[in-house]
Amino acid sequence: MPTEESLTLDKRLALVSFAKDAEPFIVVDTDKCNHCESKPCLYICPAEVYAWKEKLNYNTEGCMETGACLIVCHKIGAGAISWKYPSGGKGVAFKLG
Amino acid sequence: MSLEGFEVAVVGAGPAGSAAAITLAREGVQVLLVERGTFPGSKNVFGGRIYSYALKKLLGDSWKDAPVERFVRKEGITFMTSDNAFSFEFESKDAEGSFTAKRAKFDKWLAEEAEKAGASLITESRVDDLIMDGSRVRGIVAGQDKIPTDVVIACDGRAGLASMLEPSQISMGVKDVIELPSEKIEERLGLEPGQGAAHVFIGACSGGLRGGGFLYTNQDSLALGMVVGGDDVSSQKTQSYSFMEKLREHPKVQRFIKGGKTVEYDAHMIPEAGPKMLSRPYTDGMVVAGDAAGHLLNNGYTFRGVDMAIQAGVAAAQTVLEARKKKDYSANSLKVFERKLHEDPALKDMYTFHRVPAYLRNRRLYTVYPELVCSAAEAVYRVDGTGKRKISREVRLQAKGRVSIFTLIRDLIRGARTF
Repeated sequence: MPTEESLTLDKRLALVSFAKDAEPFIVVDTDKCNHCESKPCLYICPAEVYAWKEKLNYNTEGCMETGACLIVCHKIGAGAISWKYPSGGKGVAFKLG
Repeated sequence: MSLEGFEVAVVGAGPAGSAAAITLAREGVQVLLVERGTFPGSKNVFGGRIYSYALKKLLGDSWKDAPVERFVRKEGITFMTSDNAFSFEFESKDAEGSFTAKRAKFDKWLAEEAEKAGASLITESRVDDLIMDGSRVRGIVAGQDKIPTDVVIACDGRAGLASMLEPSQISMGVKDVIELPSEKIEERLGLEPGQGAAHVFIGACSGGLRGGGFLYTNQDSLALGMVVGGDDVSSQKTQSYSFMEKLREHPKVQRFIKGGKTVEYDAHMIPEAGPKMLSRPYTDGMVVAGDAAGHLLNNGYTFRGVDMAIQAGVAAAQTVLEARKKKDYSANSLKVFERKLHEDPALKDMYTFHRVPAYLRNRRLYTVYPELVCSAAEAVYRVDGTGKRKISREVRLQAKGRVSIFTLIRDLIRGARTF
């Protein structure tokens, strides 16, 4: 049997379905991030919602709603992230879990 | 559905919420079970195993209708370096002690049991707020709906955890579900048809960070995942999901998953502060149960969430039933919840193993010791004609430069007291 090629995060995220929420459920005060040394959100997020390209960029589509970014941001980061669950029925949906 | 006339609102139709709703509805209480996902389970992720006892207690014989993937009969642990593996296995005679499951099926089924018992379920409904009367909770606000109730049971997982937890008190779990024909699963893990296995990996896969890997067998898929410490991931600037590839590339794991097809990627944050997380899991008009109150347990060798959540949900419901008799939902009346948590024979494990999280922060567990076990085994089993040493001498020699005998013994003694 052939070995599955190594899976990139993009390939993994393509296996999960997301219903876009019109209401922004993550809001980041990105000015604060410019002064953040540790930038822990970049590492804790299992879906790379946060990326650094000269400044903090974030893409809520793909968010797996773990809530971990909020904890690390406020405890060791810049306290820039506001986060809540997406509206009812929106956001990530796992078929298996 | 009219959203009036409910005595209790249960927020979250996971195992804690559904168990609470079942317990209340059976006593004729008007219960509203509120779920934000499109169906119960659609937002929920776990490693893969459920201990059966809680379900048996909750449902009696009808627990057998649960969507079981496989009953776990084989427990395995592997200590690994990047190219070595030292494993041992235990085969249990307990035929139905625990089982693997998929949450999208299991949670849905349990919520249906709650509906059968008489609870009302609404889905796609996010609870945004509580109706407050001073410091007293008087119901929930879900979207446009204000739903007044006598009392609220919050089983909403990780909502609102942020203010309470430190990065060292959380772990990030990520998981691939890998499809594989059931005969292959049985062949590779040495199982009889229908039997299941659970396996834990410690060492190189977590790159020296607090954490480890796991493998559970579903009927025709493998749940392969990694759990890593929130503080370690942040301080080492390593992406939490990157450990999946490390695990998958290990020869031991490779042999399990070869030829499989990954069909889902899952992630879940594990709050590991224990019951201390929420020093008072009750307030005027509300009790909190399940993940949201830290009702779960990783004692280093068993990983328990769903059974703890069910037990805590039942305890929350019993607390509410007693308060209902007295018509008193004040914090003073609900504080009996805490006693129930301490006295419940299953939940009290959380208190018994309260020192484990601190012990598990010892990095030597993920670096020095797996390496030591593997290199000692390599030396013990190798016969190359150059002369053999006795095992005790060999272990001491292998430990040299890695860890002092003093530290080793101290870790062992602390371990013996912790576990």
